[in-house]
Amino acid sequence: MKHFFSVRLLLTVFLVLSLGFAGYSMYYKIKYWGFSLSPKQSANVWAIEAHINFTADGLPVKVSLGIPTKNKGFKILEENVIADGYHTSKYADRIVFTSKNKSGEQNLYYKIIVFDNMPGKDKLKDKAPAAPQLPELDDQRMAQARQIVKLSRQMPGNDAIEQLINLFNAEPLDPALKSYLPVQYTPKMKLEIMQELLAVSGIASRTARGLQLEEGQKITPDLMLEAYVDGAWRIYDTSTGKRGLPDNFLLFQRGGKSLLDVEGGTESTVKFSLQKSITSTMNLASQRAKLAEKSGWFDHTIYTLPLAQQNTLKWLSVFPIGILLVVLMRNIVGVQTMGTFTPMLISMSLVKTGFLTGLICFIAIVLLGLAIRFIMSKLNLLLVPRISAVVIFVILIIHALTFIGYNFDIKIAQASVFFPIIITAWIIERASITWEEDGPVNAGKELFNSLLVGIIVYFVIANDYVRHFMFVFNEFNLVILFIVMLLGTYTGYRLTELKRFAPLVKKVK
Amino acid sequence: MFGWFKNFTSPKLLRAKGVLGMNARNFHIISKYNARRLYPLVDDKVQTKALALQYGVKTPDLIGVIEHQYQVKNILQMVKNHHEFVVKPAHGSGGKGVLVVKDYTDNCFMMSSGKVLTYNELYQHISNILSGLYSLGGRYDEALVEEVVHFSDIFKNYSYQGVPDVRIIVYKGYPIMAMTRLSTAESAGRANLHQGAVGVGLDIKTGKTKRAVQHNLPLTRHPDTDADLRKIEVPLWREHLLIAAKAYEMTGLGYFGADIVLDAQKGPMMLELNARPGLAIQIANGLGLKKAVKRVDKKYPSGLTPEQRVDFILS
Repeated sequence: MKHFFSVRLLLTVFLVLSLGFAGYSMYYKIKYWGFSLSPKQSANVWAIEAHINFTADGLPVKVSLGIPTKNKGFKILEENVIADGYHTSKYADRIVFTSKNKSGEQNLYYKIIVFDNMPGKDKLKDKAPAAPQLPELDDQRMAQARQIVKLSRQMPGNDAIEQLINLFNAEPLDPALKSYLPVQYTPKMKLEIMQELLAVSGIASRTARGLQLEEGQKITPDLMLEAYVDGAWRIYDTSTGKRGLPDNFLLFQRGGKSLLDVEGGTESTVKFSLQKSITSTMNLASQRAKLAEKSGWFDHTIYTLPLAQQNTLKWLSVFPIGILLVVLMRNIVGVQTMGTFTPMLISMSLVKTGFLTGLICFIAIVLLGLAIRFIMSKLNLLLVPRISAVVIFVILIIHALTFIGYNFDIKIAQASVFFPIIITAWIIERASITWEEDGPVNAGKELFNSLLVGIIVYFVIANDYVRHFMFVFNEFNLVILFIVMLLGTYTGYRLTELKRFAPLVKKVK
Repeated sequence: MFGWFKNFTSPKLLRAKGVLGMNARNFHIISKYNARRLYPLVDDKVQTKALALQYGVKTPDLIGVIEHQYQVKNILQMVKNHHEFVVKPAHGSGGKGVLVVKDYTDNCFMMSSGKVLTYNELYQHISNILSGLYSLGGRYDEALVEEVVHFSDIFKNYSYQGVPDVRIIVYKGYPIMAMTRLSTAESAGRANLHQGAVGVGLDIKTGKTKRAVQHNLPLTRHPDTDADLRKIEVPLWREHLLIAAKAYEMTGLGYFGADIVLDAQKGPMMLELNARPGLAIQIANGLGLKKAVKRVDKKYPSGLTPEQRVDFILS
């Protein structure tokens, strides 16, 4: 007894460990490689192009454009610059084009392809600001400002900044705020006033620019408010008042710097065009892995193998779950099948042939085979030659069915090619021996049970989600291994035994 | 719909009754007390017979063994001093492949079932045995030729064709449960309960009927012969138990089933042993094996001789 419990304990520990490992690696794969739970094959990729246009004055030119800084909110697949005759140099958050004397209209392009735009975290790394200076306002305006700040405290929101933004977005606008604002103002001006008010309440803030990812062209980038709260820079969406980057928002430039600086040119504009395209998820996985901090791993996984090998492994990694089902059916439910893994083999062939066609075909082959086997049993052949003869007969039946299927265009019959010949022959042999020894009812029962379990296994292993999951998160096969081993210590009654032994606990009438 | 569920019972009730399930049998008993290396001793009837001889356990006398295909025709030489004999596979089970020859002439063999086989047909049968037709897993096998058991008349009315034997379950050397299987017309002369044979649970102390079941349902009379099943009392019961108990020392198996037949002149004889005896005996007895096993573990002394163990059971 003691020994038994320690085995079970050991296996349970291994099961828990493997579950932890599989769980972590699932998290890792989803987070860093972007694997998903659903078997979707493609992901969105955004191509963003910044088009800078200006007229050069005939002097040396220096153009500086704010670019997205590397962060976890998105990943860059490709980066491209088109700037003839310019020398380009890239910095962490800016790209600079320089050239000797130029004149006339100039066009510069900066293009990036990004993917995995995740809702960004609200915290952004940057140096802490100096305490904000109180804006230089006259006494009346200062009093107004203080009143507005006070007013904003009554607005909903998680912090002072959200409250203030909500006050600005309230409909109708509070009269106190309305009188503080100019009659007409641009979003940029509105943001500046917000910053002013924040400075009054002692909160350092600045503007940030970015692009909401939606297909089309944009002349002005979208503005965001950055504020230094609780020891970190946080970003706020001024249109919703929510802290954190909105979905599909690509931050281009931060820290209150300008988006575009042009020296030696006039009438400069920057225009953005955005385009969405779709690519395969596996394609992106290696890109993601390369970008992820702890990369190296990906190169040592099955996902870098050629597709043909990957497909074979995908096919294999679904079996453990089928095996688990067979174990459950035999040891927990107590279904008697022909041989241990016959149902497994039946379901594998069904996957190759398609369900209904395979089923009909399988039944046809077995019935024909049984008929031939009965004729043969009259001949009293020795075992090995007899089973070999059955194998040859099965091959001939498959020949016939495939030929008939092709010529009469019956898809069902054509599927017969995919049945494992030796296994089918053994099924026929076993069925006929059971038939002779235990009668047709028992033979039929065994065949039916094997087929039933095979069908159940089929529906699990043919499921796209299951196949995707077991391949992409293949560590779960380890979990299944320990579940199967733990089931090896299950000593309770089988479900069918509850029926079999029922007469034992019933009163004898 | 719900009527069907009534066929099921709860695990709780089964546990209370001490019923042994297949998983528990395999895990707690067989894998623990029956070492794999001992299996050949009982799976191979040639070895079992040799052991039995060594330990003074009666079995049907061996006439000869046919090991290779080229020896098949030696059977005539082998049986020249016997007019009746039995041919069986060494690795068979459940009476598969057994031929009982009552007599033979210059050109044919007469079976006890009334069938007549030509010489060639008998050779074919032996050849089939050798190629593994009746052996577990289809391995190459040997054919045993042994003397015929003359069944005691006691069972005559209790069986339709076939020959009833007594199955005794032995745990740690103690006989703990017994039954006899009676073939019926439905089971076609076979002794398998799931094919419709009648199982009669026998009281381990007396060898008398405890209860009889067919298809898991209790009954009192044999469906074909109408004999009163409640009146069975196996004679020489102590000898039956002793044979079963001695098989423990013989094989070293902690848990097995001993199949014993009663010969009219020679008394009880061991037919074969089974290292993985079925669980249907519980239904025939209306008792759980787990309970019996626990009793042995807790209360029965160890280190006794077979005789002492049998006396302990009978006391």
